[in-house]
Amino acid sequence: MSAQVTETVGRPAASYSSGATLKQRVEDFLALEGELLDERKFDAWLDLLDEDVHYWMPLVRNFEFSRPQDEYSEQGVGAAWFDEGKATLRQRVMQIQGGDHWAEEPLSRTTHITTNIRIVEATDTEITVKSRFLLYVNRREEEVRIFVGKRIDVLRPTENNFLLKKRSIFLDQTKMLFKNLSNFF
Amino acid sequence: MTTDGIGAGLINTGSGLVDRAIFSDQSIFDREMEAVFDKSWLFVGHESQIRNNGDYFLSQLGRDQVVVTRDNSGKVNVLLNVCTHRGMPVCRYDRGNAKMFTCPYHGWTFANNGDLTGVPLRTEGYGGNLDRAKWGLIKARVVCYYGSIWATFDEAVPEFEDFLGDMAFWLREFLMSPDGEDDGIEVVDGILKCEIPSNWKFGVENAAGDLYHDVSHKSVQRVGLSLSKLRGRHTWDADPATFKLLNITFPAGGHAVRGNLYDFANREYQSQWAAIPEVDEYFREAHYTRQKRLVEKERLLNRGGVVFPNFIYNAANRTSITTLIPRAAGRTEIWKWVFVPKNAPQAVKDAMRHYLLRYTGPAGMVEQDDFENWGSAQLGAESILARRLPMNYQLRLGDYAKWAWPEPWIGAGALVDEGVSEHAQRVFYDRWSEMMTGEPQTVRQEAAE
Repeated sequence: MSAQVTETVGRPAASYSSGATLKQRVEDFLALEGELLDERKFDAWLDLLDEDVHYWMPLVRNFEFSRPQDEYSEQGVGAAWFDEGKATLRQRVMQIQGGDHWAEEPLSRTTHITTNIRIVEATDTEITVKSRFLLYVNRREEEVRIFVGKRIDVLRPTENNFLLKKRSIFLDQTKMLFKNLSNFF
Repeated sequence: MTTDGIGAGLINTGSGLVDRAIFSDQSIFDREMEAVFDKSWLFVGHESQIRNNGDYFLSQLGRDQVVVTRDNSGKVNVLLNVCTHRGMPVCRYDRGNAKMFTCPYHGWTFANNGDLTGVPLRTEGYGGNLDRAKWGLIKARVVCYYGSIWATFDEAVPEFEDFLGDMAFWLREFLMSPDGEDDGIEVVDGILKCEIPSNWKFGVENAAGDLYHDVSHKSVQRVGLSLSKLRGRHTWDADPATFKLLNITFPAGGHAVRGNLYDFANREYQSQWAAIPEVDEYFREAHYTRQKRLVEKERLLNRGGVVFPNFIYNAANRTSITTLIPRAAGRTEIWKWVFVPKNAPQAVKDAMRHYLLRYTGPAGMVEQDDFENWGSAQLGAESILARRLPMNYQLRLGDYAKWAWPEPWIGAGALVDEGVSEHAQRVFYDRWSEMMTGEPQTVRQEAAE
């Protein structure tokens, strides 16, 4: 890809426009975030995370009809695929950025598609957003991974933009069908 | 003893050479299921997953799915998850609590100890001739060993402790809390399951004693992972005390351990969790309590190892069990149980849980690179041209390993090499070859002479 295809405008365009609705601004933020990851601008992506961010992806299990609450492993108690704060997400970024993290060397090609974006609740300090995601990963010659699922994000409004305060990622897989979860969601 | 020659002539640990077909040939894989997996005790889970009567979870015994239950009398059962009528799985939930399992197809109903208790139309349809005692779920032999649950469907497999041999100490020690209390760990809820495009043996030989593969983990060493405030991924990296690095193998059973034997007894605790003082304090106290409980064996640090054929564990604060579940020659399911000390303060449990989840599994900063590399090794094993070239296991080939060394209490059945070596892999493949062909292994032959 040429540089001009991948060049991202540093701030979401909607944040400049006084007429933009909250929903447009949220959609722009989520699109920007995905773009930064897809363009491997991991440090810039980290800048969009609140210092106290909580990034969580529970395990998913098969449970009987009467126990829907047990489908996802319990936050803060059970195992999880990811249970991260900013410091450990930064470590994961540092691991990718060294040329010696074989699971991501050479780097995967990723495309983040975020859709069905809906604001569930908005106050002056927190905006809760539900969405659906599709993360396509292609690496080396033949490896393809498709991750599909649901996200609940909590955004914190800042002067011109938002910061991600909490991300809960609910993957539609119980057994991980792929060997690695080496990408960000 | 096989007569068709499948599995023969593939392993020559005397010259350190292994035929790549053992990783890629489906007929060898099929033979392994009968000759290796059916004839071994296999790990299915931990008692802390079924605390109450009626609790159950699904697990794997080799390629077969089983239900592990604690029945109404408190006994642990391992039941083949196959209805004896038409073969349906009778349980379809990862875990739960049930007094009985009813097959969704025709309604045969089994108690949580496997007994057949209900058959629709039993009187009208079968004329009362169906002997329910004969048609219960197939039950495995089960052993609970310091909290861990093992099973086999084979009546001829030796008793569990004979199968373990001198490996018993290491498995028991791994299942202790950091302060040396037996059966001292509990499962963090949720088994991590993923699939890797690789033969099951790549994972096992790696855990048996591959201390040669540091380049795999260069990136996580650079970034740091342990909470000692130092670089590196292991907590013991923070301990400057000198030790012998040991590859301890048990050739009779094919088991192996990676361990440190510290040069001096009763060494002082060195801070290994400095990032969280409360946690560090727990490990400081545990260190001294363990010294008293283990007496002369306190000099040993159990880093991890293998119970033949497919149970691997990581110890030394990375308390986790992995089973490599064979699906096909080039396809393996990985199941991971992570553990925390039962009686530790919540802060310790939280710290260990976070450390472990960041270390292990497909999202783990250490094991991502293992899975990547085992998958890549599989490509080489499947290469048509490279098949002419055996895999090389010659690192420290020769007369280095010694029996019952460096201390006699390590066990008469232990054959030990020091340092970075492929000794443990050679022992693993010797035992594998013995089970596949019925021919005695070379290492044992030497021992007998």
